[in-house]
Amino acid sequence: MNATNDLTSNVNITFIVTVLEGKVYGIAMNVTRNLTKILTYTGNSARINNITQRNYAFKSDLKIKWVRPAKIPCYKAVVSGDLKPMPEVDFNRYQIEFRNCKGLEDADEIVQRLFKLEFASHKKIVQSYLKDITDSVQRHPFDKGSIESRIARWTGAIRAWQEIMESHPHNKTVKIKVKELIDKRKKHLKYLRRWDYKKFEWLLENLELVYKPHPKEYRWITRKDSLKKLTDKYCRDTVQDKLNEYKLVLQEQQPAFLEEKIRSLEFIRAEQQSCGVEVTVTEEEITNVKKELADLLKERDVSVKDD
Amino acid sequence: MSLSTATRAFMLLGECVPCVKQNTSRFRIKRLELDQHLLMYFRKDNYVYAHDPDKKCKTGDIVLLEHLPEKLTKLITHKVKEIVYPLGDVTCPFTQKKVVAGRYRDHVEAVNKVYGKFDTAFDYEKAAERGWLEDKKDFSHAETYQKYHEFENDKQPYAV
Repeated sequence: MNATNDLTSNVNITFIVTVLEGKVYGIAMNVTRNLTKILTYTGNSARINNITQRNYAFKSDLKIKWVRPAKIPCYKAVVSGDLKPMPEVDFNRYQIEFRNCKGLEDADEIVQRLFKLEFASHKKIVQSYLKDITDSVQRHPFDKGSIESRIARWTGAIRAWQEIMESHPHNKTVKIKVKELIDKRKKHLKYLRRWDYKKFEWLLENLELVYKPHPKEYRWITRKDSLKKLTDKYCRDTVQDKLNEYKLVLQEQQPAFLEEKIRSLEFIRAEQQSCGVEVTVTEEEITNVKKELADLLKERDVSVKDD
Repeated sequence: MSLSTATRAFMLLGECVPCVKQNTSRFRIKRLELDQHLLMYFRKDNYVYAHDPDKKCKTGDIVLLEHLPEKLTKLITHKVKEIVYPLGDVTCPFTQKKVVAGRYRDHVEAVNKVYGKFDTAFDYEKAAERGWLEDKKDFSHAETYQKYHEFENDKQPYAV
């Protein structure tokens, strides 16, 4: 009697689950209400409880804690892929207009200082930096329009603006400019990658940039979606762990199996020879297995010593 | 030609797309399918897996694939025959010269020479083979995704 009751309850459970997933709530509610009564007699109510308590939204039993990733502003170096910020200014250098000025060479020290970056405006300092960074990748002295010198110039501008954004996070004009320039640089890096991969890599290395392509689509991050992904990952990891465990168990049995194999092969060979039947097991086959076993044992010894 | 018959074609030309499987690369086969009502062709992509033991194909390469007489696994139906156009390193089929976007590399180099090329400028002869920055600065060989969770021991290099 008990056995049949168990059977019916199991059948009913599966029925409810399918109905609930199919979202036919009207029928399901009636059945669940009656079923709790029926099942209390079978003594199986504890097992059923979590099913009957289900509402329209399914809650997982897994204790997965979701941590929402912190929002990073679009102008940050982590997002833009710049590995280096704008370097410290060398105040002992002249402004770029006066770098080759012969009149300054034998001028008074105070006059010289006046034309150095020490007393220059921020704009002049950035100009000097842009020239430096462009010079490092330029093709020839007149090169301003090639893809590498343009990307270098944009990189310099982005880094200079990023510095401003750090001190003035509410400056919206600069924020928009940085964001647009970062996106533009990324677009042109994408083109360069398609046209000339070697130059693309060289440029990344020289300008200290990281390139990550856009994902297939951008969607806002939700708890539900993230939990779904985390649950999938949990399931995959669990399966992998079990497979790894099983692999270890099988590897444990390998030497014993090989020994057994050698013994049986030798036995078969001896029997075939003594009976005068065609010998199907060759000597070579047996030595191969022996070699395999020796290799295996050797490998294990090495790994044990390493540990 | 319907899609199913075309899939069984002897050779295929496909573009390599990111794939995490070992010894295997994944390829996108682009086709134009006729819409009988509009009498217009529309793009239709389908994907095949090909045996590639050394992982020679990199993301974006245009590759010639050959049909295997027997399936290697449930997924792998083809093998890689030849890489026709490596991404970003294209050779002109008529002149056998290297091409960058719409120009020959030689022509660009000649112009640079006239203006006085810098030693620090990029040189094709000294340049390393593609892939030396993989996973260091260049993450374009794999698919990226939006970061949805902060893992404790995982830096998530492919998260955007």
